[in-house]
Amino acid sequence: MSYIALWRKALHKIGGHFGGGVQSYFMFLRFLVVLNFLSFLLIAGFIFIPSIVFRSTSNSNMTVDSTGPEACRVYDPNLQGLVVFYQYFLDLLSGTGFMEYSYMFYGYYNNTVAESSGFHYNLPLAYLLTSVFYFAFCLICIIARMGSALRIAVATGSGAAGSYSKMVFTGWDYGCQGYRATKLKQKSIHYQLQVDLEEERLQKKALSLTLGQTVGLCSLRIFLMLVSLALIGGAFFGIFQATVFSQAKVGAEGILGLFWVYLPSIVITNRNFVVPFMCDQIALFERYSPSTTIIMALFRSVFLRMISLGVLLFTLWSQITCFKESKDCQLCQYNNKEYPLGETRVGQEMYKLALFDFLITIAMLILVEFPRRLFVDHCSCALTRWVGRQEFLVPPNVLGLVYGQTVVWTGALFCPLLPLINTLKFFILFYCKKVTLFSNCRPAVKTFRSTTSTIFFLVVLLFGWGLALVAMIYSLAQIHPSMSCGPFRSLTMMWSIVPKTFYTLSLTTQDFIFYMGSQAFSIPLFIFSCVVLCYVAALAAVYGKSVDLLKAQLKLVSDGWGEKSYMT
Amino acid sequence: MGTTASQLRKDLLSEYQELTFLTKQEILLAHKRFSELLSKEDRNLTRVPMEKVLSLTELKSNPFRKRICHVFSTSDMKDGSLTFEDFLDLLSAFSDSATLEIKSHYAFRIFDFDDDGTLDGGDLEKLVNCLTGETDDTRLTPEEMRQLISNILEESDIDKDGTVNLSEFQHVISRSPDFVSSFKIVL
Repeated sequence: MSYIALWRKALHKIGGHFGGGVQSYFMFLRFLVVLNFLSFLLIAGFIFIPSIVFRSTSNSNMTVDSTGPEACRVYDPNLQGLVVFYQYFLDLLSGTGFMEYSYMFYGYYNNTVAESSGFHYNLPLAYLLTSVFYFAFCLICIIARMGSALRIAVATGSGAAGSYSKMVFTGWDYGCQGYRATKLKQKSIHYQLQVDLEEERLQKKALSLTLGQTVGLCSLRIFLMLVSLALIGGAFFGIFQATVFSQAKVGAEGILGLFWVYLPSIVITNRNFVVPFMCDQIALFERYSPSTTIIMALFRSVFLRMISLGVLLFTLWSQITCFKESKDCQLCQYNNKEYPLGETRVGQEMYKLALFDFLITIAMLILVEFPRRLFVDHCSCALTRWVGRQEFLVPPNVLGLVYGQTVVWTGALFCPLLPLINTLKFFILFYCKKVTLFSNCRPAVKTFRSTTSTIFFLVVLLFGWGLALVAMIYSLAQIHPSMSCGPFRSLTMMWSIVPKTFYTLSLTTQDFIFYMGSQAFSIPLFIFSCVVLCYVAALAAVYGKSVDLLKAQLKLVSDGWGEKSYMT
Repeated sequence: MGTTASQLRKDLLSEYQELTFLTKQEILLAHKRFSELLSKEDRNLTRVPMEKVLSLTELKSNPFRKRICHVFSTSDMKDGSLTFEDFLDLLSAFSDSATLEIKSHYAFRIFDFDDDGTLDGGDLEKLVNCLTGETDDTRLTPEEMRQLISNILEESDIDKDGTVNLSEFQHVISRSPDFVSSFKIVL
């Protein structure tokens, strides 16, 4: 991919000063910037630009109105003429007003089917297929990147033989100049040696445990894992109750009203701080090796954050489609009084989440990290020595990135320009984080290996992708699209555009596709793909064996060479 | 030697170019920096004392700076003072174009703290202390040091004599591709 040239010098500088772990965070950020940009190009090419073209030619006979009840088709996006000047700013922050009925959100796109002199473009179908392909494209990129990282990890082998002597004999960089850089390097070498030695000690101890002790340790770990799961479950129950309570209290005025509206966010934020802290305390008792502890902490936090997002989505959808079978939904199969255009509403929520995430990160930078550095540098009391400079912790930052990306994935179906916004957001974030890293942070004492950490970041990103995929499938297959506007206004289900267009194809094409779906074709295809799978698995096994063989040969050569010199 | 503070004779320049891995620009720059180290009273001295050499920015914070001066010094008094030719030897060994054998040879001599031709446990301990920092809170604990030294000897001591000799050292170095680029000092 051509992103290799972007920010290469900056990454090199970061890696030299702060080590491989921090560098892998920035490389991950760069990967996300490129992924979002390519997705935006995809969406722009197939949805955005045709939509602009069709709107500007404005053939009103191209749009098909829905056939539902009159009341359901009413949509007034409240385009006022003159508004108070700060209304624009508020609208920009929350996606309402002038932003609501614009290319940003689902509601503005028409279900035009353009036909002119042999050129046929079905916009709703393009909208749907592009969204589906966008997910597939992201999955392919993530897996390709994971594959290349895995290849490096397998070839070098984490903790390969000879690593201690290599680290000690070749670990020092003689080009390292300056007192601070030297101290940094020394600290990182020190920590790396300590971590490796401790892992080796723990491994030896684990091997030497008796059966009774092993059983005891395992049961302790299972118990603590259940405790942490219970904590997380309790957190979600709390969030759910808060959301329901907040919805019940909607309409209250004043400060108290504002409090009720923001109650779910407050509860979520609190949980995001409290539960990981308690999980860290639990981790102290589990007595895993240091690198495993970091990985477990990362997975727990991911679980927590992703499912907070899932709960939010679930509550939104249950409001729009009235899970509780209230009479609001009987007319149009969705709650058209409060949500005349539910999809836009979901898109707005996702847009708000992405924007607030960005604003809070910037605010933390300006209001917390810079003052902390000034405070620590200029006062020299015992408090500043205890607090110390900010440490750049990689796992929480990575979680922030994965969370932001998941929000974009869930929202992309309803807010097609969200990948573009995310590209800009991550682009600016790179520079902001770099500035804060070099001015405010001391290097983290706890580092982890960069090859395995890249793989874990991508695995965590896949969790987010999975959640977004579930949300998208549910939206496509279950939700009744709004009848007032949007590209799917005349359909009962978003996915039904595909069968509808399918039957307009020529008969031979239909027969061909039916044949591909029939058993006569799919069973041989299935058998063929099993054969390919077995071949690839066998190939992987052979490569693994040859890597082991080469490693053994290397050892043998050194021993044999030693024999020769011993004999001479 | 006959070098003045301002000019390096052309025949010496070409001779140095042939004998070392340095380019003409690098030799001229080295001459300029070396002359700056000589203060006004020592104009007729040809040796720069070790303290002055250690004031160079490239060497000032290097944990191996004293060993580097000792290794490249040709002084009879073993005080680490360098002549200009010693200085050029130093820069040549640490230059971009020096070969792996030269670099590993000099690295071995730098790490050999007691100058006995092999790296034994004492040398390795001093080496690790240089790498992690000399102060008490940056050193490894004695148990960790013991464990580390036994691991190193197990991995690299092939003839099992308890020390790492030059060939075993070069064998470890040859498996590390980054060594040539990290064993580099450029003015």
